[in-house]
Amino acid sequence: MENTLDGYAHSNGLKNANVSFKVLFAILTMVVCLLSTSPVVPLTITILISLILIFKARIPLKFYLKFLSIPFIFGFLTFVFMAIFFGTGETWFNIGLFNLAVYKDGFNLGLLVFARVLGGFSCLAFLALTTPMTELFSVLESLRIPKIVLEIAMLMYRFIFVFLGEAENMYRSQNTRLGYGSLKNTYHSLGMLMSNLFIRTWLTGEQVYISMESRCYNGSIRTLKPQKNITPRNILMLISFESIMIIGVYLTSNLKFI
Amino acid sequence: MNVIETKDITYHYPDGTEALEKVNFKAEKGKIVALLGPNGAGKSTLFLQFNGILRPTTGSIAVDGDLISYEKKNLMKIREKVGIVFQNPDDQLFAPTVLEDVAFGPMNLGLAEEQVEERVNEALKRVGMDGFEKKPPHHLSGGQKKRVAIAGILAMRPQIMVLDEPTSGLDPRGASQILKILYQLNQEGMTIIISTHDVDLVPLYADNVYIISEGKIIKEGSPQEVFGDVKTVRGANLRLPRIAHLMEILEKKDKMPFEKPYPLTIGEARKKILKEFEE
Ligand SMILES: Nc1ncnc2c1ncn2[C@@H]1O[C@H](COP(=O)(O)OP(=O)(O)OP(=O)(O)O)[C@@H](O)[C@H]1O
Ligand SMILES: [Mg+2]
Repeated sequence: MENTLDGYAHSNGLKNANVSFKVLFAILTMVVCLLSTSPVVPLTITILISLILIFKARIPLKFYLKFLSIPFIFGFLTFVFMAIFFGTGETWFNIGLFNLAVYKDGFNLGLLVFARVLGGFSCLAFLALTTPMTELFSVLESLRIPKIVLEIAMLMYRFIFVFLGEAENMYRSQNTRLGYGSLKNTYHSLGMLMSNLFIRTWLTGEQVYISMESRCYNGSIRTLKPQKNITPRNILMLISFESIMIIGVYLTSNLKFI
Repeated sequence: MNVIETKDITYHYPDGTEALEKVNFKAEKGKIVALLGPNGAGKSTLFLQFNGILRPTTGSIAVDGDLISYEKKNLMKIREKVGIVFQNPDDQLFAPTVLEDVAFGPMNLGLAEEQVEERVNEALKRVGMDGFEKKPPHHLSGGQKKRVAIAGILAMRPQIMVLDEPTSGLDPRGASQILKILYQLNQEGMTIIISTHDVDLVPLYADNVYIISEGKIIKEGSPQEVFGDVKTVRGANLRLPRIAHLMEILEKKDKMPFEKPYPLTIGEARKKILKEFEE
């Protein structure tokens, strides 16, 4: 459990910061990223958030880089394709292979998309790595998401881990008894694991319902949600950060790299 | 007065398993009652009858003197009175955090939020889990989950608390802590019913003991009476408390003058041995 997203969300250096603050920060910063018409601001945001995550939230660099590598690769490929295939105007230079050339406008657009992907993703990473799912629920509730959706999400969150634990235990116990020794055994064992897990899911659902009924459950899940109000200091920080970024967006709006 | 009394209840599971047969079980107000029995004897099945989750195939149950009627309104009232802590905490903990899980019961009672908060804090403190409010259950150990499950029922302050193997999976200190908590609650007037395999702890706390085997109650009485019937106890795949066993061996093999009833706890044994030496 230690090295998962959920583990970090519960044990990072920013776990005690106000939840609404973190959610607002992530959403607003993402909007700024999308508004920007030059890659400068999104890239700045990416760097800033990475610094915050590594130094302030103390997420290990290795884990963070691994986390960021997928959107990075995705963004980079998009960038390359756009630079080569999306241009219409002037070519910048010829690659000298299959008659392909890099277009100036394609290059600019590709760079912008790449920067937006990274910026947007780092905002999401900020939310995912610093805010436990459990606290997001209380924010979602105050955003008036339908109750039934939240209840299902809540139960799903809990039971993903119950069944993950069970699957892990079953897998280990099968492995102990050499269930994955050969290819044939592997198929057989995996099949049993899946069907067993399915039955367990069903039975556990029934048991949980019984135990909820025993606690006077009457169809809607009511629990205490810790509601911390966002402080004026947080709001001030938020406003100043986003304003600076928006000014940056304005100043760089006509900036082109080539 | 009996707060829970079953009359000849029989229960068949839908697949035909006859889990209970003509069970007569009584719990007197303000007592601690222990239900002993081997695996598959029907302990969990019996407990689920107490708050109307399962309905007996034949026979009836009275809670607080009134027969359970199985309509929703009445069942809610019964469940406010009778709190059940389940055998497997993963079946009970459903909320994303400890705080929310423990608050679930009291919220359903319709209490104000401040009151709920107060009860939750008190319950968590009692089981030694304060400070874990924000943790999700999957970051807790098995024993910690068990404590949270107990707190979830404690916070509802039921008149009768039913615990299905509350000490299984706990370390020795944890087990005796839980029993101490139960003993305290009992002193404050709560009726406690527990099922257990731990025969060493039973005589320390229980006022009354039932032995169930293959769906039938085969012995009932005070701990002295029940453990005095060595044959029945062993016949039900159970054993004597270690102390009593030692006394039995000393009497039978070494011809020491410790006749029945054997002492069941360390305290009783100490008295008896000291008396022997003085004579
Ligand atoms: N859902 C079910 N469907 C059919 N039979 C069941 C079901 N649950 C339990 N049984 C059977 O009923 C009998 C009593 O089970 P119960 O769970 O009450 O035992 P127990 O005394 O609690 O055992 P343990 O000490 O292992 O918890 C057993 O023979 C069991 O196989
Ligand atoms: Mg059981």
